[in-house]
Amino acid sequence: MSGESASAIPKGQVDLLDFIDWSGVECLNQSSTHSLPNALKQGYREDDGLHLESDADEQLLLYIPFTQVIKLHSIIVKGPEDEGPKTVKLFSNKEHMGFSNVNDYPPSDTAVLSTDNLKGKPVLVKYVKFQNVRSLTIFIEDNQSGSEITKVQKIMLYGSTVETTDMKGLKKIEDH
Amino acid sequence: MVLEATMICIDNSEWMRNGDYSPSRFQAQADAVNLICGAKTQSNPENTVGVLTMAGKGVRVLVTPTSDLGKILACMHGLEIGGDMNLAAGIQVAQLALKHRQNKKQQQRIIVFAGSPVKHEKKVLEMIGRKLKKNSVALDIVNFGEEDEGKTEKLEALLAAVNNNDTSHIVHVPAGPNALSDVLISTPIFTGDGEGGSGFAAAAAAAAAGGVSGFEFGVDPNLDPELALALRVSMEEERARQEAAAKKAAEEASKQEKGGEQQASSQDATMTERASASASEAETKTSDMMDDENALLQQALAMSMDDPAINQEAKDTDMSEAASDDPELALALQMSVSDSSKDSSSQSDMSKLLADQSFVSSILASLPGVDTNDPSVKDLMASMQNQSEQKDDDKKPPSEEEKK
Repeated sequence: MSGESASAIPKGQVDLLDFIDWSGVECLNQSSTHSLPNALKQGYREDDGLHLESDADEQLLLYIPFTQVIKLHSIIVKGPEDEGPKTVKLFSNKEHMGFSNVNDYPPSDTAVLSTDNLKGKPVLVKYVKFQNVRSLTIFIEDNQSGSEITKVQKIMLYGSTVETTDMKGLKKIEDH
Repeated sequence: MVLEATMICIDNSEWMRNGDYSPSRFQAQADAVNLICGAKTQSNPENTVGVLTMAGKGVRVLVTPTSDLGKILACMHGLEIGGDMNLAAGIQVAQLALKHRQNKKQQQRIIVFAGSPVKHEKKVLEMIGRKLKKNSVALDIVNFGEEDEGKTEKLEALLAAVNNNDTSHIVHVPAGPNALSDVLISTPIFTGDGEGGSGFAAAAAAAAAGGVSGFEFGVDPNLDPELALALRVSMEEERARQEAAAKKAAEEASKQEKGGEQQASSQDATMTERASASASEAETKTSDMMDDENALLQQALAMSMDDPAINQEAKDTDMSEAASDDPELALALQMSVSDSSKDSSSQSDMSKLLADQSFVSSILASLPGVDTNDPSVKDLMASMQNQSEQKDDDKKPPSEEEKK
């Protein structure tokens, strides 16, 4: 797995997993047994047996807030060949979107995934549009085969951080 | 305590004029809505509730989700009945209202009162249900009123489409003696997904059950936990004290004839102790305890006032039984027996004093609350006089014994 060039980290970028604010992560239309942490979290996402699955229909709406401002460079979406996602729309800094207003805003970027992508080839996003990202919304519109259920095995985000103040690092000035 | 935004969809169609739910379907529905609003706002202060009507000229939102209970109750006032219910549109408008809630962290819930027949197709309802599930909106359905064929089936299909991990429920309320609100109180719609019922729901259920709350000591621990705790603690203390007093009294009864008196005095002691220690106790409880105490006290007095010959014999037998167990006790008994023989001589003096009516009346006059001219007091004194004349080696009444 780690030997594959497909999953090699792009130069200068870091895995943004550490900067995800887990308390605010939401996923609409996910199946209760196969939920978002299966695809996002360290350890779970490496396990191909655990995946994220859609529930009522094939669309999925993921909302991922970050603990600090980041720049998004590329993403990797891994899934099965037939039920993996096809059209993926990314929205930057749009909070609490629903399926009804997904089409109201133009996405920051759209990606149509090929089978190579589903095997792990990173998708480079329009870097200029993702310079100042506090939260990322991923809208999976349909899947490869058009089936009722979309399955996602792994989602990885690569980018870099912007210099922001880490509030935890702030210390009170001692009175002398 | 789930943070929730709720939209309640009211059926105000012509079908609601029917009186099979008392006083009318519409009124029963309004009561249920009021109760639900109260329960939701109480279980979490940040909860919001909104109301819309599905019939009439069209779906109309009366109040958008707000935590102000007064506003909600006010809008229920002056609603008119008429038109036909549009379930699909009602649910969709409710969903839209929830989407624009101010606090996005709130869970979304729709409560529908379906009283009239459902004219939509099952497929349409299932699609609506799926859309609700996709947007993680929970749905509660109250099926009452008209029992149309297919209505139950359609509503069940809607619920199946929406239901995600048992967050959505359906309740069928047939017409009958029970009010709509009472039936709803015990359902998950009120208790909110197995939280165990908020205090509001519990209190409402208790009120509905009628009167006595059935709590220990007549005080609701939810309403006043400190009082309930105080009552419980003092009850236990009292029990312990009583046991100790009973033991002590049993010992003393075997030692001297003052047994009855001691019991009475220990009862008095416990009563006064209790009165001072438990100032905060509910009066009902103390009076209950007092009644028990009084009964015991009266028993003790009755024993000592009884035909003394029998009394003395009984006491003598008691003493001899006790003495057989304990030589020290036997010694004490002997002393007390010799005392009592002295008693009888002085007793005759005492009885003479009692016979002296003027002395007695002066004593009685000094007692607060006793009027010597009261006929009952006079009767009592006359009877006492007769009694004292009858007995020679009489036992002194317990009150006299204190002089020893």
